[in-house]
Amino acid sequence: MLLSNEQKNADMRGAYGDTLVELGASNRNIVCVGADTTDSLKIKKFGDYYPDRFFNVGIAEANLVSVAAGLAIAGKIAFASTYAAFLPGRCLDQIRNTICYPDLNVKLVVSHAGLTVGPDGASHQQLEDFSTMRAIPNMRVIVPADAVAAKYLIRSIAIIPGPFYVRLARPLSEVLYEDNAIFRIGKGNILRDGSDATIMACGLMVTRALDAAKVLKSNNGITCRVVDMFSIKPIDTQLVAECARDTGAIVTAEEHNMIGGLGSAVAESSSETYPVPIRRLGVRDTFGESARDEEIDALLEKYGLATNEIARAVIECRGKSRR
Amino acid sequence: MGFRMRYLDLKRKICSVRMLAIQGIAEAGSGHPGASFSAAELMGVLYFRKMNHSPKKPDWSERDYFINSKGHSAPGFFATLAIAGYFPPTEMKTLRKLGSRLQGHPVRYTQKETHQSVPGTEFSGGSEGIGLSVSIGIALANRLDGKKNRVYTLIGDGESNEGQIWEAAMAAAKFKLHNLVAILDRNRIQQDGFTEDIMPLDPTRDKWSAFNWNVIEIGGHNVEQIIDALNKASEAKDSPTIIIANTVKGNGIKHMTNNPQWHGKAPPREHTPLLLEELRSECLIAPSIIAGQQENYEEKIRSAERGGADIIHLDIMDGRFVPNTTFYSDTIKQLRHITTLPFDAHLMIENPLAHIQDYIDARCDIVSVHAETCSESEFAQITDRLLSNGISPGIALNPSTDLPNWLFPHLQDVDVVLIMSVNPGFAGQKFIPEVLSKIRVINQKLREHGFLGYIEADGGIDATMLQAVYEAGARIFVAGNAVYGSGDIHGAIIQLRYKVNVALERKLLEQANAIGIRRDWLKTRKHILIPLANELGIEEELHALK
Repeated sequence: MLLSNEQKNADMRGAYGDTLVELGASNRNIVCVGADTTDSLKIKKFGDYYPDRFFNVGIAEANLVSVAAGLAIAGKIAFASTYAAFLPGRCLDQIRNTICYPDLNVKLVVSHAGLTVGPDGASHQQLEDFSTMRAIPNMRVIVPADAVAAKYLIRSIAIIPGPFYVRLARPLSEVLYEDNAIFRIGKGNILRDGSDATIMACGLMVTRALDAAKVLKSNNGITCRVVDMFSIKPIDTQLVAECARDTGAIVTAEEHNMIGGLGSAVAESSSETYPVPIRRLGVRDTFGESARDEEIDALLEKYGLATNEIARAVIECRGKSRR
Repeated sequence: MGFRMRYLDLKRKICSVRMLAIQGIAEAGSGHPGASFSAAELMGVLYFRKMNHSPKKPDWSERDYFINSKGHSAPGFFATLAIAGYFPPTEMKTLRKLGSRLQGHPVRYTQKETHQSVPGTEFSGGSEGIGLSVSIGIALANRLDGKKNRVYTLIGDGESNEGQIWEAAMAAAKFKLHNLVAILDRNRIQQDGFTEDIMPLDPTRDKWSAFNWNVIEIGGHNVEQIIDALNKASEAKDSPTIIIANTVKGNGIKHMTNNPQWHGKAPPREHTPLLLEELRSECLIAPSIIAGQQENYEEKIRSAERGGADIIHLDIMDGRFVPNTTFYSDTIKQLRHITTLPFDAHLMIENPLAHIQDYIDARCDIVSVHAETCSESEFAQITDRLLSNGISPGIALNPSTDLPNWLFPHLQDVDVVLIMSVNPGFAGQKFIPEVLSKIRVINQKLREHGFLGYIEADGGIDATMLQAVYEAGARIFVAGNAVYGSGDIHGAIIQLRYKVNVALERKLLEQANAIGIRRDWLKTRKHILIPLANELGIEEELHALK
């Protein structure tokens, strides 16, 4: 499943745009709504191919998601996209009442979330979306780790009826998956096996989790299982329990406030199935700040999300394990 | 009017909606009567006449969509769906109760068993300002699919405080959605008070024009104006239409009208019978343009419209059934375009069956024929023709004519029983007092046989005997001299309505007495009763309440 040799980077947003164009060719019901960020979200291409199925509502996020809801009511599969700071940040009410309550077939695909937004700073670094989206009935929350995952997951959500929230990253990201990888909504992917602890991560933190596992193996002789938990809701309850039982300790890593995100979902799940020590790595209930692209690693380090933080958390967490 | 509405049937259905809504609210102990009542005609015209929809197949793909953006009008909306046939009206008893499909605010219908919603509900309302955006999505999808169906969206004026309304206003114009019609329920009241105090919306018309919408402004309780506006909206090219419907919050129950207090408050349950009585008592004033014949008919109609008439009564006389001659269908045809007010044609002619098509073609809204001029089978043919053209059928009786026995099997097809209170043929005659007891007897007999239509009294009626005619059971009052004789048409119509109001208040007080809530009713109704206190003889009693 994992890409083995060469390291290459790819753009999740580009994968989204391309996949949407591909889906649009075979399914005339796929429509796309943007909000003056269509170039940035890479959905402009969809508009070039299918101008009659592409709607730009301008800088109006409440209208964006509600128009998408209307399209879904009339039988369309509606993709709505803009920056995560504004969707869901600016239209929680519309998502809750207008899309989730009636379980409409609307796909909210956003980018520019997390600290790795970089130079735009805290106003754009959406760190609360997993928490808010996860708490709404009928909504599912998906966070691809690379461009391959993005492609397959966009294909999946186009087929499965009902609302989805998909968070993409702004920067290019390392391609982790082979092109024949398999993704199932509600299931995590084990990317590396190990028996001493499990690291569960999502989005760009998956790469860092893999790096941390390598460091732990070579420096400390600790073998870690690494899981890509791209499906934050529904969470893979079974896999969480298995990892807890098999490895005795879990560390989570996400570009999100520690409150209410992946770490919370894993802890909630484990505590009710197979309680083990858990360390949650995330932004510690604070806002982010600007950083140039070349400073992203330093930014993550400052906010406690660097590779060595993950490694340290694994060691700590193992220390509390009763094994 | 571009399509036929069967005017009186429409009025009756809307009345049923109000009655059902207030019963539901009273039973629930909460809900929004004000918004339900201000929009009753707007929703009624859409569901009972204008929209293509199918209660038996709510997801019919060619249906017109109704998006109720102002979700707090839920009781009125649910009642409209029930009367339209989407679910049994008796279910209104469950409104807002645990386990009900009728939630406090409407929920989009889905097939999920656990979902608490009723068929026909397209949109989950309750959070304000969203429905217009959703309508844009539906309209875009329909256009994409090459469908001809339309989207109608009810928005509120309080709701227009929301910025999203204006996001949608811009977008609908950008996308040139001529298949989208917004209807603004402009009742000027929101939860905290009057809209212009809380957040001024005026100049409403200019705002929507500036957003590049096609704007039509109407009286929102006049079904004929609503229909006319919707027809005009159907002709729009390249731009969405907004109908600014000037309405009265709480319209239908006098003490609730124009009072912010009744935005979201339920009436006490024991008031229900009185409220239903009031709703049932809606009356129509019908100026008759025969009076002082040969004059300028157009001016008479226009002045009646300005004066607040409900319908225009047209006396057709052929010089054979009655000794006089007035005008025929060709004149009506010429007059039709000058007003949207319904035309109430009273055919005092021999052999009406032979001429009925002329009055259908002249686009009358109510056509009454005389019992003395037709047999049962002729009458049945006449009503068939009228009904299939969306015209309200009526039967007229001379003072000396009783209800024909052959009428009873046809009662469900009859919207009007017109009782002459003079011998027809000439204007300016005196009201025959004996007709009062005739109206009373006929009214009782008709109700016993399940008659749901209106009794119309015609001939010599003025303010002096109007209360008695009302009490006898008439609900449409034809007035010739009483209106046109005075020179002050508006004043004359106001005076007639005043008399009807006094009669209604007297009746309600009697009923309140009978069920032992007189004092409570006087308190509730005080601001309505004070100006009528002298006439009702309750001045001291009202004073003692203070």
